[in-house]
Amino acid sequence: MKVRFLANDSLVETEAWALAPALDFIRGELRLTGAKEGCREGDCGACAVIVGVRNESPTGLRAGSGFAYDAQPSCLLALGELEGRQLVTIEGLAAAGPTPVMRALAEANGSQCGFCSPGFVVSLTAYLINGDERRGALSVEGAFAAVEGNLCRCTGYGAIKRAAARLVEEFASLPLDPYARLDALVAAGVVPASCASFARGEILPSLARGEPSVEGGSLALGGGSDFFVRNPHPDPAAFPAFSLLDREPALRRVERRTAGGEERLEIGAALSWREFFSDPDILKLVPGIERFEKLLASPLVRERATIGGNLANASPVGDLTAMLLALGASLRLEGPTGSRELPLDELYLGYKKLELRAGELIAAVILRASRPFSLFNFEKVSKRERLDIAAVNTAAAFEAEDSAGGGPLIRRARISAGGVAPVPLLLKKASAFLEGRPLTAAAALEAARIAAAEASPIGDVRGSADYRRRLLERLVLAHFVVLFPGSGVEEAIS
Amino acid sequence: MKPTKESELNLSGATRYLDDLPATEGMLYGVPLTSPCARGLLRGIDASAALALDASVSVLTASDIPGENQLGEAVSDESLLVDGEWSYLGQCLALALAATPSLARKAAALVRIVYDELEAVTDARAAAESGSFILPSRTMRSGDPASAFSRCAIVVEGRVESGGQEHVYLEAQGAIAESLEGGRVRVVSGTQAPSGVQRAIARTLGLGMHDVEVEARRLGGAFGGKEDQAAQWAALAALGAARTGKTVKVYLNRREDMNWTGKRHPYSSDYKLGLDAEGRILAYEADYYQNSGACCDLSPAILSRTLFHAASAYRIPNLRVTGRMCRTNLPPFTAFRGFGAPQGVFVIECALDAAAREGGWDPVELRLKNLLAEGDSFHFGQPVADCRARRTVDRTLELSRWTELRAEIDSFNSAHRLVKRGAAILPICFGVSFTKLVMNQGGALVHVYGDGSVSVSTGAVEMGQQVARKIQVIAARSLGIPEGLVRVESTRTASVANTYSTAASTGSDINGMAALAACEEIRGRLLGLAARMLGADKGELRIESGFVTKGCEITELAWKELVDKAHLDRIDLSAHGFYATPGLFYDMKAERGSPFAYHVYGCSAVTATLDALRGTYRFDEAFIVHDVGESIDYDVDLGQVEGAFAQGLGWAALEDLRYDERGRLLSDTLSTYKLPDLRFMPSAVKIEFLEGAPNPKAVMRSKAIGEPPLLYGIAGYFAILDALRAVDRTHPTKAPSSAPYAYDLPMTPEKALDFIQGVRR
Repeated sequence: MKVRFLANDSLVETEAWALAPALDFIRGELRLTGAKEGCREGDCGACAVIVGVRNESPTGLRAGSGFAYDAQPSCLLALGELEGRQLVTIEGLAAAGPTPVMRALAEANGSQCGFCSPGFVVSLTAYLINGDERRGALSVEGAFAAVEGNLCRCTGYGAIKRAAARLVEEFASLPLDPYARLDALVAAGVVPASCASFARGEILPSLARGEPSVEGGSLALGGGSDFFVRNPHPDPAAFPAFSLLDREPALRRVERRTAGGEERLEIGAALSWREFFSDPDILKLVPGIERFEKLLASPLVRERATIGGNLANASPVGDLTAMLLALGASLRLEGPTGSRELPLDELYLGYKKLELRAGELIAAVILRASRPFSLFNFEKVSKRERLDIAAVNTAAAFEAEDSAGGGPLIRRARISAGGVAPVPLLLKKASAFLEGRPLTAAAALEAARIAAAEASPIGDVRGSADYRRRLLERLVLAHFVVLFPGSGVEEAIS
Repeated sequence: MKPTKESELNLSGATRYLDDLPATEGMLYGVPLTSPCARGLLRGIDASAALALDASVSVLTASDIPGENQLGEAVSDESLLVDGEWSYLGQCLALALAATPSLARKAAALVRIVYDELEAVTDARAAAESGSFILPSRTMRSGDPASAFSRCAIVVEGRVESGGQEHVYLEAQGAIAESLEGGRVRVVSGTQAPSGVQRAIARTLGLGMHDVEVEARRLGGAFGGKEDQAAQWAALAALGAARTGKTVKVYLNRREDMNWTGKRHPYSSDYKLGLDAEGRILAYEADYYQNSGACCDLSPAILSRTLFHAASAYRIPNLRVTGRMCRTNLPPFTAFRGFGAPQGVFVIECALDAAAREGGWDPVELRLKNLLAEGDSFHFGQPVADCRARRTVDRTLELSRWTELRAEIDSFNSAHRLVKRGAAILPICFGVSFTKLVMNQGGALVHVYGDGSVSVSTGAVEMGQQVARKIQVIAARSLGIPEGLVRVESTRTASVANTYSTAASTGSDINGMAALAACEEIRGRLLGLAARMLGADKGELRIESGFVTKGCEITELAWKELVDKAHLDRIDLSAHGFYATPGLFYDMKAERGSPFAYHVYGCSAVTATLDALRGTYRFDEAFIVHDVGESIDYDVDLGQVEGAFAQGLGWAALEDLRYDERGRLLSDTLSTYKLPDLRFMPSAVKIEFLEGAPNPKAVMRSKAIGEPPLLYGIAGYFAILDALRAVDRTHPTKAPSSAPYAYDLPMTPEKALDFIQGVRR
């Protein structure tokens, strides 16, 4: 099989193994060594590159345009995923000399040892292209958020923050129309002219559409944020056949469907987390869910990680898994013998053990739109607030109404918890206890106590077993403090 | 500052780090096979399966080492490849070489070893109990603490723990060694100490140092981690090159680097502090149990810096501090920015915290009352000179509006139940100079080329601290020419010899002075020529902005013309400069002397907000007033303060280095070991350099900058502690009131919740 793509402004055709990490191909074969290997697990951002796509499935694109450019860690990217796309590396950005992003960082002295610098340039450049999620405008906070996946050990981030703030000021009047904006960025020297040409299909039209060009097989690669962490140097002999799910349009859309008189949202399992948190239907169904996006991974990783991947990874502490468990999601599984549906809370049989038959794939996550929850909250405690794995996480979804006594009466409740058992847990007893009950301080304390008793945590590098149990109790209380202010729960906590 | 060429190259991705250098024809890749448990006896190595993998594969073991199988400089206790017993998990047993990195990795995995697992010790106090030490303990004394304690109104005692810290230099360790004719080798090494690497290679290969050339290009961060510990990878690559006659590259990946290399030393310490009724410190005793790891490495020097900084910025008339280097079966702990000082400073700060609580004193007033002043002496006899402690603390209190801030925090805390704020201040006093006398020397080689451009080589390694920038400024100012004419070269043992590591914050002090000496020598020769050309007196001539000046007047004689003429007149346009820090002496037996050229002062104030429901915290603001002397480059010094503060804050409240009891590193990836990201840092960091504070003891009246600001981060620990103490407790605490205060760094959300729920106090 052949992989063909645009590397900056030159066409690359290669017979190289399509499942190889793009980082190795970029550094080794293309001899573009500006992208650095810092950790090979998406945690440092030193290997970030920009990937441009056009004319692909609508959810893969930024709203209102036929193209998208996003920063991604190239250590988590399979070479084959570049097929028909444009790879923009730091060398491509710098081809005509230092760009305004590079100049802003240099003038603020934002590069000390320099090893992380190309990654910061890439993330900030992608931010200028895209702006704030769901808005497109630039903001200082948004620019800071854009580099949350980039680690720097030298500067303490002060100079980088000053440079980011300066860039936001300098580019405050960028147009919001995607094509006009890209043209403006080309004119300002932020991105090379080849980006505007690629976005319009003016160069390499035959590559306009990414065609699935890899053999189907036993390994189905989603975003690679798990696969490449476990296989930092994958051996071709070990993976003779594989498929790249980002080439399956059916797995990458969000559809409203009516089945059996019930309205439902079917979310393609290969949807990236970034796409999940910006889909209007999902945001409408789960009000406020976007508040928690920043607690999940980093912008770089959210571009790679998929919904289905988080579920299939079966980590007992998957953040999105905890959210979807609380939201009462089901799965559509597709396998050699057909398709079936399974409630998410029945997927996990034991530690990393799934109720999946041979050859079966998680195709979609289903949320029932006709029975929404009006209240949703997510809690997570980790050593570092951003881009860290939780010691404990928990999500809660409630449907409540005002009771006769004036306080809220809980009609339906679903609370989940991660990091407290071998599997992601639906706290059935605590949820059942709450249903049909007015939310009083006493009821909240009792529900939290029941939740802690449902947990069977172990101790590891992220926290002792005892801590996790106590923390879960506090985080369940936090749901009530957040969702039911004025209910007296806060005052009752000691 | 103007953007420098270097930072634009970095930002364009053009800078070539070790792994970016193009592979050469026939290059081999070396992957070490390392020990599978913390202690073991190697009985045999079977490489047959590895050798059968590919014709390019070879496997080197201890018997292939032509010279001495030894890397240890202070104590010979560290073999290059294990021959017999190993003493930590991740120690190198063999080196697999092959034509590609993946073949070498596979080959290393195919090497079979036969071994006996032996019992291992990982805890410093357990090692001390069994008498397992690197070297005998060391004690410093002043006054008579035993009798002073009897006069104290308040005496506090307790234990303090501080965790290790992984360097996480973004560029991992590695080296490329090229085999030259006649058995010589040329090595590019990711090291802070090229001469040390040269010495290690000469020793292990049985060569003269003149047969080994080592170059350190720009490093992607080091922070002390590439001081002694870079030698191993370079010596392995050189061994491979010597045995195969080919170029050999050894470059670790992140997990290997984290598992196999040493970090900041964890300490477990006991303290006893006595004060009079007014809060004046009368006596202090501390016992430091340094977890040194399996080999000596730099542990003795690090311990000595702990002892020298035991009293931090405080006046303590009666003192006894003892340090023990406990040998355990963990990778040898090593240098990390601060070099033992942070561990010692944390202990005295904890003791003061406990005293403030017991005596009911305001923590700031207690510190002010005991702050060092002119006329005091350090406990090792050096007089406190040009003391800036009070100036920096006073200015920090002003800058942070401390009195108002405290009142705002107190009123916030009474208005909020589940959110609490806290604040702390921390003065610093950090001694500058290598505590090992011989290391306080350095050389430089300066060439002025015929076209007027200038090349400066020194022993300083550029690793992100921007020492090259400072040397460029020093050379340009000394020669009176634009900075753009000066290039600072990579660090090569053939250009400048017998150097010591770029460390101890002395990089620009020592190498800048050496460069200055060389530049002044050349300038003197050129001005002599200019005097003849202009018929002027040499004493009234200078070079400024590229022209010779006479008094206040600019002459027609330009730099380039002068250089051209000098060459025609056969005047030497090159010079070697040398600098040895003057005035240093120390009597190890008496533990008395003047080991430091000067001290760096400063103060930080940090505020934090605690979420008392979830046990999480966030830093809000930091105010730092730092004594930088006269800054050579404001942006470079600002970057050093900000960066060091971030590492200190990470050490104090985030970075959680964890080994299991069998010596296996649990936090061995960046997903399990978290370091500060942009959001971890306080949203507002205000840094001010002390004004009007030139330092006559260092180059261009500046002060060393690298390490001292790391200490400011310790204030973060106490800011969180302050917030934790404001938590309302409606039920009695589970920890008895007689229980000692728990001081256990880093603070983590788990420990914070323990405080909130009264499990610890």
